[in-house]
Amino acid sequence: MSRHVISAVLLWVVLTAVGEATVFLDWFPTVGSHEAEDFDEIFLILVAMGTPVFAFVIAVIAYAVLNFRSKGPEETGATFLGVGTGPRVWVGITSALALLVMIYPGMTGLAALSKERTGNGWGEYDAELVVHATGYQWFWQFEYPESGVKVQGAGNELVLPVDTVIRFDVDAADVIHSFWIPAFRLKIDALPGRTTFMTVKPTELGSYNEDAAYRIQCAELCGLDHSGMLFPVKVVSQDEFKEWVNSQTAAAKGQ
Amino acid sequence: MLRLNSVFGGLGLGLMGFYLGMAVAALLRWAFGYPEVWERDLNVSVGYCFGLIGWLMGVGMWGRWGREWFGLKTYPSPTKGWARYFTFNTDHKVIGIQYGVTFLIVFLLAGSLAMLIRAELAVNELQFFSKAQYNSLMSMHGILMVAVAVASVIGALGNYVVPLMIGAEDMAFPRLNALTFWLVPPTAVMLLATPFVGGLETGWTAYPPLSVVTQTGQTFFNLAIITFGLTSILGALNFIVTIIYMRAPGLTWGRLPVFVWAMFVTSWLALLYTQGFAVALLMVTLDRVGGMSFFDAANGGDPLLYQHVFWFYSHPAVYIMVIPGFGIALEVIAHFSRKPFYAYRYAVGAFMGILGLSGIVWAHHMFTSGMPNYLHGPFLMMTEAISIPTGLIFLCALGTIWMGRLWLTTPMLFAIAVIFNFACGGVTGIFLADVPTDIHLHDTYFVVAHFHYTIVGGEIFGLFAGLYYWFPKMTGRMYNERLAKLHFWWMFIGFNITFFVMHWPGIQGMNRRIADYPEAYQPVNLAVSLSAFLLGASFLVFFYNMINSWIRGPIAEANPWHARTLEWQTSSPPPLENFSSPPRVTGNPYDYGLPKPPHATFPQVAPAPAGGGGGGGGGGG
Amino acid sequence: MAVHAPAEHAAHHNPLVLNRVGLWLFFFSESVIFGLLLSSRFFLEGIHQDHVDQVLGLVITIVLLLSSVTAFTAETAMEKGNSKLCSQMLLLTILLGIIFAGGVAYEWKTAHFTREEVFGTVFFTMTGIHASHVVSGIVFLAMAWNIARKGRFTSKSHWGISGTVMYWHFVDVVWVFFYPALYLVDS
Ligand code: HEA
Ligand code: HEA
Ligand code: CUA
Ligand SMILES: [Cu+2]
Repeated sequence: MSRHVISAVLLWVVLTAVGEATVFLDWFPTVGSHEAEDFDEIFLILVAMGTPVFAFVIAVIAYAVLNFRSKGPEETGATFLGVGTGPRVWVGITSALALLVMIYPGMTGLAALSKERTGNGWGEYDAELVVHATGYQWFWQFEYPESGVKVQGAGNELVLPVDTVIRFDVDAADVIHSFWIPAFRLKIDALPGRTTFMTVKPTELGSYNEDAAYRIQCAELCGLDHSGMLFPVKVVSQDEFKEWVNSQTAAAKGQ
Repeated sequence: MLRLNSVFGGLGLGLMGFYLGMAVAALLRWAFGYPEVWERDLNVSVGYCFGLIGWLMGVGMWGRWGREWFGLKTYPSPTKGWARYFTFNTDHKVIGIQYGVTFLIVFLLAGSLAMLIRAELAVNELQFFSKAQYNSLMSMHGILMVAVAVASVIGALGNYVVPLMIGAEDMAFPRLNALTFWLVPPTAVMLLATPFVGGLETGWTAYPPLSVVTQTGQTFFNLAIITFGLTSILGALNFIVTIIYMRAPGLTWGRLPVFVWAMFVTSWLALLYTQGFAVALLMVTLDRVGGMSFFDAANGGDPLLYQHVFWFYSHPAVYIMVIPGFGIALEVIAHFSRKPFYAYRYAVGAFMGILGLSGIVWAHHMFTSGMPNYLHGPFLMMTEAISIPTGLIFLCALGTIWMGRLWLTTPMLFAIAVIFNFACGGVTGIFLADVPTDIHLHDTYFVVAHFHYTIVGGEIFGLFAGLYYWFPKMTGRMYNERLAKLHFWWMFIGFNITFFVMHWPGIQGMNRRIADYPEAYQPVNLAVSLSAFLLGASFLVFFYNMINSWIRGPIAEANPWHARTLEWQTSSPPPLENFSSPPRVTGNPYDYGLPKPPHATFPQVAPAPAGGGGGGGGGGG
Repeated sequence: MAVHAPAEHAAHHNPLVLNRVGLWLFFFSESVIFGLLLSSRFFLEGIHQDHVDQVLGLVITIVLLLSSVTAFTAETAMEKGNSKLCSQMLLLTILLGIIFAGGVAYEWKTAHFTREEVFGTVFFTMTGIHASHVVSGIVFLAMAWNIARKGRFTSKSHWGISGTVMYWHFVDVVWVFFYPALYLVDS
């Protein structure tokens, strides 16, 4: 092994180590659901696997630029042509990387997410609570079919019980919108003429007042007030949720 | 009087055609008894078609080409003076410069729009623009830059250099070539006119049903892009035929410079996929002006149809953007490493692999679109697979600089930066291709960071590498190396800070295409905006250097880089017929330091060969 | 002097080959458009179909196929130097083309569905775009006929006819795919 190869490998190892250390940084917004944990884990796996690739490119470039420079066109470099084992090894390694490290976590994570193979949404269809969400230009409207509670408009919040499997049935009235709650790491488009769904199990209490990740954000450009199409989310304990539902139904009757 | 055969003639006839077309449409509606004679989108569309023909004929297509269809004599294009740049000119070198200048202006405009975007986003809540204006700004920035990315390298550098590199005297269809350029200004005019007819609010992707219900600006957009698609396709066709049939004797496929290979593969991509964008927008137009229901769910249409057709083009389009960038980077790296190209065959194989795979990965842009779940797995796997051929580009680049004697001129610095930047952009692509991570990251600033890293970091840096590299050839003058290096480092640092930081708000949950964002994302956006201004200012150095050097830079040698390829073996700039005597290719283009024959020789043929020469060894290999 | 006119390349590169390959690439590219329309039709409507006039559809299809035969005859006639037969056959082709276009127009007028319905949307779009190719083909044929009539083509040099006839065949082949998709497929 030549001196150059050894030094460059050393540089690569150092850069990789530095990069891998970032795995311990605090990358993510609040983890609000079971699905969010999966996301964070896969994301970090990809960070861990992508780092050596990126570090390799940097190491070779940096080493070459620092050590193999010349001032003009007169000198010429080594004359190997790159036929034979070198490229083949590269193809083998990158294919293995793509297959094992990129596709594998992707496919296993996907298997956990798309349980309904012919459906169009995330998670299972069975749920303990169903919320119907409809996107309009430019606001959201929610309905809890079991209790008939409707939520909409300024000053309101979408209240959800913690530790409950909740399915959102999503559709749109006019153009495409997208239903996204950053704290849950899940989004699904709201399409006119078709109902999509996503099932999620909140694990943490939280509300938009304290944490921007607890919001429903329209994530598909839908025209003028796309940026304003967000709605606060509040995850409460199951008891509080029952009380809230009762107060809402009472208020509706009282009208 | 109108001066025909120039931009003025084009403007005159174009405007006349535009009004005539609108009148014809109104007349027809009246004749067929429609209650409303004036239907803005429809009349404008018909007017545009007439105006386009008027424009083309006016700029000189009639005099230089059209007359022939009616058995009349055609006029030649001027060969000297600056006026030749303002008319329908068939010389590929003139067309290359026309493209280059046009697209640099568009880049400047679209970049300035980006500066306005960053100004608005520096602080949360609205400061300078209304929401409608912001959407327009953002959409215009996106589509103009996409146009720059798709066509600038092919149009400017491809046109100028490819015929020289293959030792041809021009493209296979010179008049078609001129046509492709003259279709570009109407595209730009239509896009720039959108703010006067209600603006654009659908981003560059123009998803229906929004694009069906929005204002007339959308119709302008559709017409512009359909025209633009036409130029891409015709240009691609021209390149393919040129590269297959016009190569100098001895220039086999295995000796082709890698930039020519890149243009060849890009052209195939453009030829096969560009229709997707055009068809998608045609359907939007028909829904808008023809009362049809492609995307109207209430009548049984389906909005997802658009997304499939659109991405069927627009994923390959990202490779139309980046392969020319790779081509330039590899070309430049090979010449400035002063060492044979590493794994040449694998580079060609990589381009081919990308060509093959890029048509079957489009739905990775639709993972959260609500398409059926069983589609996710296959598209995930194909998308990941495309990193294998793309990775081969890295193999070749890294292998070539390893143990070379790197001559770190400005083009070389830019070329190395392409490799560096794209490594980052490619790796973030992996995050987006994995469905579980994309569900969160889709439509966030993480995606914005990813594609600026790939497009700007890969293609625009490549474009600058090429501009500096071939500047002496194209203008006959040398640029100022110190200013150029200043530009490089300034741009490189500004770029990496701006877009690296941009990943962060994405992960944190800031979505894209918004004029206003929750206060939580305030500090990081301010940082991004400040470094974006830093990045933007770097181009002042670039433009100053280019303009100044073009006017009074030192006269350039024929081959200032001591490169082996053909374009450097003729004067700077080359004569009208490119080579004073026809070249004969005798060796590989990249055999630096090997005791091998030169790439090309120029045997002085005394009498003109009568019908000899054949197809330049066409089809060999 | 038009230095870069294609004639200039003739010394090194046979322009006929370039033209022919260029035209093929153009067809290649166009077939993607038609392919996308075809796919859209199945994407939207599956194999469902609304009422269309089967007899009319069959007749115009036969007419168009016939016109390809006459176009072919025109080209071979020119190759043999028979200018007269060539222009007659071109005229016949134009006539058949006009009948086809008229048939499509009639179908449009008498259709049982509107363009707001999805089947109408795909039907009118697909036949419309195809018909626009037929009409432009007729225009090219007319231009070729005009030149042939004046006897300006020879058995050696008649790219004007070959190119046009190639285009006509292409338009015909497209219909071979559109016809079953619009008329025959049904659940
Ligand atoms: C030049 C343009 C360009 C290029 C080349 C790419 C390249 C890639 N892109 Fe990107 N992309 C865009 C431009 C580009 N992209 C744009 C404009 C958008 C947004 C459009 C919009 O919505 O407006 C987008 C969006 C986008 C999405 C959709 C995101 C979303 O909206 O949710 C996805 C998802 O899969 C994706 C993936 C990829 C992948 C996997 C690659 C791969 O090709 C990358 C391959 C490269 C590497 C992996 C690095 C080098 C490889 C090695 C060193 C070898 C070893 C490595 C491994 C084996 C991993 N891109
Ligand atoms: C070739 C492609 C390309 C290029 C080069 C750029 C260049 C830049 N882009 Fe852009 N961008 C896109 C393609 C590109 N972009 C696309 C496709 C979108 C998506 C649109 C959509 O969602 O539909 C997008 C969207 C996009 C957004 C997201 C908008 C949103 O979602 O709301 C942002 C935000 O920061 C941004 C910023 C920038 C910046 C700061 C630059 C800078 O690199 C620009 C630098 C250039 C200049 C500044 C011009 C020249 C210099 C001067 C005139 C000097 C003087 C100026 C000053 C000092 C102020 N771009
Ligand atoms: Cu609704 Cu964006
Ligand atoms: Cu893509």
